[in-house]
Amino acid sequence: MSGAVDPITLEVIRHALSATAEEMSLVVMRSARSPLLREAGDLSSALTDADGHLIAQGRDIPMHMGVMSFTVREFLKRVPRDRLEPSDVWFLNLPEVGGNHLPDVKAIRPIFVDGAIVAFAASLAHWADIGGAVPGSYVAGATDAWQEGLRIPPFRLFTAAGPDREKLDMICANVRGADEREGDILAQVAASRAADERVQHVCAEHGRETVLAAIAAIHDRAEAQMRAALTAIPDGTYEGADWLDDDAGGGGPVAVRVRVTIAGDGARFDFSGTDDAARGPVNTTPFIAAASVFYVVKTLFGPEIQPSGGCYRPLEIVTRPGSLLDPGPESPVVGGNHETSQRIADAVFKAFEAVGPERISAGGPTTSGLVLFGGRRADGAWTTLYEVHGGGEGARHDRDGAPVVRVHMSNVMNTPAEVVEAEFPIRIESQRLRRGSGGAGRQQGGEGLHRAYRVLTDDMSVTSMFERRVVPPYGLQGGEDGAPFRVTIARADGSREDMPGKANLRLDRDDVVIVESCGGGGYGQPETKGR
Amino acid sequence: MPKGWQVGIDVGGTFTDVIAHHRARGEVRAAKVPSRTDDRIAGLVAALGAVDLQWADVDDLIHGTTIVTNAIIQGAHARVALIATRGFSDTLAIGRQNRRHLYRLDLPPKLTPQVPAERRFEVTERLDHDGQVMTALDPDSVADAIGRVAASGAEAVAVSLLHSYANPAHEEALGERLRARFPYVALSHRVNPEAREYERTATTALSAGVMPLAAAYMDDLEAAKPEDSRLHLFHSAGGMASPAALRDLPLGLAASGPAAGVAAAGRMARALGIERAISFDMGGTTTDVCLILDGAAQIASDRSLGGRPLRQPMVAVESIGAGGGSIARLDHGSLMVGPESAGAVPGPACYAKGGDRPTVTDANLLLGYMDTDRVLGGDVHLDARAAHDVIAPLGSAMDMTPEAAALGVVRVANAAMLRALRRVTVERGVDGRSCTLLAFGGAGPMHAVALARAFAIDKVVVPAHSSMFSALGCVGAEMSYAQQRTLRMAADSWVQARVDGVRRELRATLAAPLSAAGHEDAALTVEEVASVRYSGQSYAIEIADAALDDPLELGRTFIERHRALYGFATEEPWELVSIRMRVAAPRNGEVRSPTTKANEPPSPTKTQPCTFDSGGSVPTPRYDRAGLSPDSSLDGPVIVDDAWSTVVVPPGATLTADDAGHLHIATGAGP
Repeated sequence: MSGAVDPITLEVIRHALSATAEEMSLVVMRSARSPLLREAGDLSSALTDADGHLIAQGRDIPMHMGVMSFTVREFLKRVPRDRLEPSDVWFLNLPEVGGNHLPDVKAIRPIFVDGAIVAFAASLAHWADIGGAVPGSYVAGATDAWQEGLRIPPFRLFTAAGPDREKLDMICANVRGADEREGDILAQVAASRAADERVQHVCAEHGRETVLAAIAAIHDRAEAQMRAALTAIPDGTYEGADWLDDDAGGGGPVAVRVRVTIAGDGARFDFSGTDDAARGPVNTTPFIAAASVFYVVKTLFGPEIQPSGGCYRPLEIVTRPGSLLDPGPESPVVGGNHETSQRIADAVFKAFEAVGPERISAGGPTTSGLVLFGGRRADGAWTTLYEVHGGGEGARHDRDGAPVVRVHMSNVMNTPAEVVEAEFPIRIESQRLRRGSGGAGRQQGGEGLHRAYRVLTDDMSVTSMFERRVVPPYGLQGGEDGAPFRVTIARADGSREDMPGKANLRLDRDDVVIVESCGGGGYGQPETKGR
Repeated sequence: MPKGWQVGIDVGGTFTDVIAHHRARGEVRAAKVPSRTDDRIAGLVAALGAVDLQWADVDDLIHGTTIVTNAIIQGAHARVALIATRGFSDTLAIGRQNRRHLYRLDLPPKLTPQVPAERRFEVTERLDHDGQVMTALDPDSVADAIGRVAASGAEAVAVSLLHSYANPAHEEALGERLRARFPYVALSHRVNPEAREYERTATTALSAGVMPLAAAYMDDLEAAKPEDSRLHLFHSAGGMASPAALRDLPLGLAASGPAAGVAAAGRMARALGIERAISFDMGGTTTDVCLILDGAAQIASDRSLGGRPLRQPMVAVESIGAGGGSIARLDHGSLMVGPESAGAVPGPACYAKGGDRPTVTDANLLLGYMDTDRVLGGDVHLDARAAHDVIAPLGSAMDMTPEAAALGVVRVANAAMLRALRRVTVERGVDGRSCTLLAFGGAGPMHAVALARAFAIDKVVVPAHSSMFSALGCVGAEMSYAQQRTLRMAADSWVQARVDGVRRELRATLAAPLSAAGHEDAALTVEEVASVRYSGQSYAIEIADAALDDPLELGRTFIERHRALYGFATEEPWELVSIRMRVAAPRNGEVRSPTTKANEPPSPTKTQPCTFDSGGSVPTPRYDRAGLSPDSSLDGPVIVDDAWSTVVVPPGATLTADDAGHLHIATGAGP
């Protein structure tokens, strides 16, 4: 334990740092330009220590927060500290630099106090477009990293003197919706500025050394909480696996396999048995694997664990180079962020079924259910509707699953029909529960969603990136599987086609895209229901 | 014939506060009595009795009540049926699809919809987002839906049609048919005329669900009220509302009590010329803070209650679950305070009612701030030994004296409240350090100076009647109504006639109940707040006294405000999202107690040892608040007591009383 700070000052400083991260998210949501940030809140904020270890987080998307535990650390491996200056804001999106996929762009600002860095502010925002082959930058057929859009290595975009106009223009020239993107960039910078001011204030109030001691104590505390949680799990080896529908490149299901070894207050999660890297964009990074592991352990064994850098210390996470979870910088990854991350979580949950099935839930909508529309509005402006679709929650031993909800690694909201119709050339024909989609069981899986989008313009692109279309949400302990995800295109000419889970297609006026999200798995033998 | 008494009564969960004011005589009476949930009318009569009045003595009774708030929080609302556009009756079950708890699988991720599937019905009709009719309202489907509603056993009906905020015609037509058969009908464009179907539908269903309850209470009130006495209720957005208006829109009562307290704070800020203030109302289990600019409480329209969205103009009170009852514990080397609370039962250990865990109140007692000779609420005798016994173990675990541990508990509790202060100021782009802290409620004045110092605020005001401030807010309220309307008008396609049309409609709607209450139309005051955003941005900036007849001027103001709030602004297109209007009837509600300047300086009632942040025990004189004459000035450490609360003035701070009975404290913190 760090003895330099008393329990009272520690808690006072922790409140101040957490409030700072919360304020960052508030600033981004209030001033960003794109609906994805303002309506759906697809963003996260963090403060890290001077070495890049997470110390506080704002609006919390489990996937982002896990990834941001690594972003600044990897950034510092690329950018020597002596190049950093007060009021710098660096941008980056490379997956291999503590990242996940190109659309999640991170802004990093070193916070200097008395000439030395005490912390970094990191703002992650999902940009509605990052360039590449199709509007919205979800290139379903991508076979390498460069097809997925603009790759931003650590890049100093703002200095104390303001924006570097040429670099800003370079970015805006390579993405669709330049005005909107510039607005989002300014929002991320505003958030980092707010964090800088707050941290300065905290250091002025308590003294820099005390704040540094408090940060060390925050890590130690999270580590102690994590160790306590791991100690409560019986020692042993547990195995779990889950499957992607396909490799997004014409091949069949891809396995994620984990071997968990619990020994005392430490744990090892070995994903070496996972299949090789996929041809298409469902690969992901070791950082995502770590984020998913942390999510499952916290959820099952210690919801109170503070998500600070220290909680990773007792966890050893092993991925095999060349595999789906560690494919190297050349592989496409855009869908792996929210699809494969959920497969990893499912595999780890299944491993822990042996510890007690009542702890876990049957399979749920562990997919973003992403359907992305791109086109021009009546005024000629580029616009993309990035819509994620929740499904039926998996049942648990003591309750039915909830209808239409996001589970595990994400929690992004929907866009209301009234907002969709006001801002996009689309009409929502209906939105209702997909009745009968929940798996039967002693406890019933939750119902999925039925939502139909009618195209009101002559030329629109549609992209799908979803899972659980082939491999359905699993039932547990004898419960039945939920109905799989299905997207149907009803063409204006009366024909109907079943849309693949990873595809880019074109739509014409009066085509209707019908999204039917998956139902949740049931729990327990159906005939014993009501007992 | 006027009898001269104006009375404010605020009924809270535990206590009912009453303040009676006789302007002609310059007389003020105040009392606090236990609330009666078994017979609310008897409770009001008892409250009047406590200030030696009968209802017949009262000209105007202004009443704040938690009846609607509690019904919503406890889910005790009527059986509601919902009628929606064909294809959209599951909106309440779908919600925004996000889950409530990120890391808890054991808890349900969403609340059960207020209206179950078997009472959700559809009619054939469709509007687009501009309000154009795409499919006319089909009479057969209306007849069918009404038949199903009748067969469902519903007690109230909510109607929420897609895009009804842009064109109410279909909802109005349905409403007319429904009202012929059902007593309680809520139409979404009246309850909440704004876009986003889930939030509007949920708000409308809540409104329908509390209509029967609110109507029954209004009936009881009107039956009990003497013929020549007027009755008003306190509205969540500040100001009063008539019982008749609240039968239709009962959600106006959802934040009745807190709104009254904040309204009183706003009036006080105006009277004292305080431009920027934060109201700070700390109670046993919750603390409410609200930003007050130029004497006006900030209003928000996107609140939630009991986990459900409640989109109504309400005072923007930020409520956090920290108060005197918050429990302190050590966890992995950190001193945590709350969110667990000892509540009213068993309460803090020092109440000797079975509480055995250390709370903020126990810490305050141990530090010497509370007078152990006083009896709280008629039956609570403070037990200093019990406070010591729960705090001391916390101290030994931290290797500290009990006093140091108690100081720590107070500091950590203040750190949690500091976050609420930060949120309300950051949200509106205000530098909190430039604000004055207005402290009231049971525990507010005890924590105010320490909290202000932690926020670098140099001035605290503890107003007269601080322990029954909501009742004061009621008695001084003006009669007003407010509503918001969505327009979504881009600056480059500005149609002045449409803006003016909406403003005329709003004014007529809002002025109607005031005219009905006998107010001259010409004397009514109108406040307009415009919500403006860059086209495509979600959050709009609110602009008070907006130039709604000069889009160029409005655009300039918007860009200035955007730059002040976010540090940047662009020349991109903007749009007017909505207009919120408030119409008020003038009323002189100032409550002033007669004060006399004493010839002699006040003398302390006793001197007790107290411990402050500076450490060490300091002999601290206690004064009776009533004995402080205007202009008397006391240097800390000093403690001032009234019957219901305690003002702590630590070393380095100075307290000055003014002739209105307000206590001004210079905290010594520099901005």
